[in-house]
Amino acid sequence: MQPTSTMNEEFLKKWQMGLQMFRPSIDNASVSERKRAIKLSADVAMASLRKGTTCWSRALIQKTATEDNFLVRQMLSGIKEETLINKKLPKVMCHRKIVRRSKKILMRRKSRSAMEEVAAKAKKLVKRKTQGLRNVVPGGEFMSNNVLLIQETLDYIVSLQTQVNVMRSIVDAAEAGIER
Amino acid sequence: MMMNGGEATEAELFLNCDDMSVLERQRVQLNYHQYHHPGFEPTLPCFFPNSSKMNVGEVDSFLPSAGLDLPEIYGELHGDARISVSPGNITTEFGNSKKRKFGCVDTETKVCNEKKKMMMMMDREVAVEEEEEEKSKVTEQCTRSIMKMKNKAKKEQNSCSNDSSKVTKDSQRTDYIHVRARRGQATDSHSIAERARREKISGRMKFLQDLVPGCEKITGKAGMLDEIINYVQSLQRQVEFLSMKLATVSPRLDFNIDDIFSKEVVSAPMMNLPNTVMPPHMMVNSGYPHDMVNSGYVHFNPMQQVVTSSDPLSCFNNGQSATMWDSEVQNLYTV
Repeated sequence: MQPTSTMNEEFLKKWQMGLQMFRPSIDNASVSERKRAIKLSADVAMASLRKGTTCWSRALIQKTATEDNFLVRQMLSGIKEETLINKKLPKVMCHRKIVRRSKKILMRRKSRSAMEEVAAKAKKLVKRKTQGLRNVVPGGEFMSNNVLLIQETLDYIVSLQTQVNVMRSIVDAAEAGIER
Repeated sequence: MMMNGGEATEAELFLNCDDMSVLERQRVQLNYHQYHHPGFEPTLPCFFPNSSKMNVGEVDSFLPSAGLDLPEIYGELHGDARISVSPGNITTEFGNSKKRKFGCVDTETKVCNEKKKMMMMMDREVAVEEEEEEKSKVTEQCTRSIMKMKNKAKKEQNSCSNDSSKVTKDSQRTDYIHVRARRGQATDSHSIAERARREKISGRMKFLQDLVPGCEKITGKAGMLDEIINYVQSLQRQVEFLSMKLATVSPRLDFNIDDIFSKEVVSAPMMNLPNTVMPPHMMVNSGYPHDMVNSGYVHFNPMQQVVTSSDPLSCFNNGQSATMWDSEVQNLYTV
């Protein structure tokens, strides 16, 4: 699925809305301030397109809400607060050394064949990569299983593509305008 | 296509749905059988489409249309953790399964008995919450039942197949889906559930392959995940970079919206030059298809455009458009 033009337009609209709110305070601020404002409103616009249905959008909104509550509240006034909270997953806190040692012992006890070793290494690799993916996708730690993770990644990628497309076209237009 | 007359409707349904998922086909099958065979016992262990009715020819014609869905499921037949997706694998895998069938003939009755036990287990253990898991099990069933169809059509019917030739309950009555384990695979419910989960994951990864550019050659979860992570990170970096660029380019954070619309988004019959007077005028007057664009353009005062043509970046006169934006923003809140 590729980003559709409807999605582009909606994102642009919401982004503009968000930028409008920044406009009075930002006109004379520094470049980094402006960049932060632009990125923030873009992120919130992207997340609000999903209206709280996906895990990553909720997590993204939560992240931005800590930076600028006012903006978020304005843009999401249509959505209930409860839907925006992600459920925290139960995490077992174990000392890493202890875990590693017990794993080593288990490995020694198990009888190993060549096939099993290869499979075990492959599984470890995949596990590490999925953890890496969880770190990249916002709200990854809230996704309980891998199926959900991949689904959310799909959606997140499509939304990111929308965001990038729209921003790029605006930059191009703005630059073209300047050159004239 | 070799079809019997009575099977025509069912076969049509199958054949017309090249794009239908296997799940939908299964549902069609269910409905068909429910309609045609209403009086079957709900306790029979195996779920099969009516084997006596479906002949080999029908199955043969059914398979190619199912070809798109089968490989990713049968990719697991070889039992490793990799995902290899290629439609060309179908024939070879079916060849394998046929070979395997001959070795497993005598275990079929055993499997049936085991299956009954498993059914009891499943009835007690399997809850209804995960509808998705059921769906994929139905998917599995369909494909497995097809496989069994083929096998049975070639041999004489033994006792187990006689039992299974009657259609069991339909899943709508009890909300359980009875699953038959695949040949040569473990039969406990856990591994079946696990297999269903794995197949779901590989299905989703296939979508991701289409989405992430340059992933066609990569097989295997680890490589795919690598690519996905890189892609997501690069997209995020692009967003950062573009926002920095925008910040430097426009000191006042106002962007020329009509540029964007005319260039990129909407398939407009309008010209693309942002500085001419005509476009906003024309756009407002013509029956412009998109409401959103209309709302953006309504603010345009053509006179203003002439005045500000030397400053193409600012498209809004803040004083005038403030009130209009407020009303628009009100509308947007309802979205």
